[in-house]
Amino acid sequence: MEISALFKVIASALEAQRKRMNVIVSNMANAHTTRTAGGGPYRRKDVVFVPEEVVEGDETLSGVRMLQVVEDPSPFKVIYNPGHPDADSNGYVRLPNVDVLEEMVNMMMSLRSYEASISALNTYKGMLMKTLEIGR
Amino acid sequence: MDELRSLESFIRLTLKRHGVIASNIANVETPGYRARDLRFRVQLEDEMLKLKVTDPKHIRPAEINTSALVEVAEDRAWKDLNNVELDREVTKMIENSILFQAGINLLSSKIRMFKNALRR
Repeated sequence: MEISALFKVIASALEAQRKRMNVIVSNMANAHTTRTAGGGPYRRKDVVFVPEEVVEGDETLSGVRMLQVVEDPSPFKVIYNPGHPDADSNGYVRLPNVDVLEEMVNMMMSLRSYEASISALNTYKGMLMKTLEIGR
Repeated sequence: MDELRSLESFIRLTLKRHGVIASNIANVETPGYRARDLRFRVQLEDEMLKLKVTDPKHIRPAEINTSALVEVAEDRAWKDLNNVELDREVTKMIENSILFQAGINLLSSKIRMFKNALRR
């Protein structure tokens, strides 16, 4: 059993969840951004995870990798607010397709799986330390 | 000395299983990922009991295959076909680490017994 493979798996999970958390935070920060460099309101972003094989002797473990950040194609929210600087000629403003509640839920899920990986790491560390004490 | 061997492979198995569980936890949100587990209990019994076959009518021990990865069959009604349940994996992880502890403790006490015997 190669020791470092499992550390790689756990590190990949922590990294992926941290990147996901960054994307979620960006979404929440831009929940009301109506003007972007590309024109139009901010589009919600999401991450795509793919498994990544970590080969270890005769068996393979599965780490995880963030493949890419994709944009959510769902329609923007439209509200009537003629006083808004980005309102169109009819007085409607297009707001980002970010649902803060949904982002919060995603953030909690991300946090939970981050914590689970940390606990897997601590358990593994404890197991390895125990093996050093065999026969004492 | 046979017990030492089987205890060693038992401890090795629990470490291996921990790797499988950590892989599941890492992929808790990967679309299409199927949770896996190490077929374990059967192997454990085979390892520990080592059935002797002295007559053709005796029950034969099952094949020992330490890398028998199995996919978890249960499905969760989720659109991305991922069936990792975080709570189940964490529970399995704790169970597995207790088994590991038991293996280590047994091995240590075996070694202590040998040491005592040598001292007499």
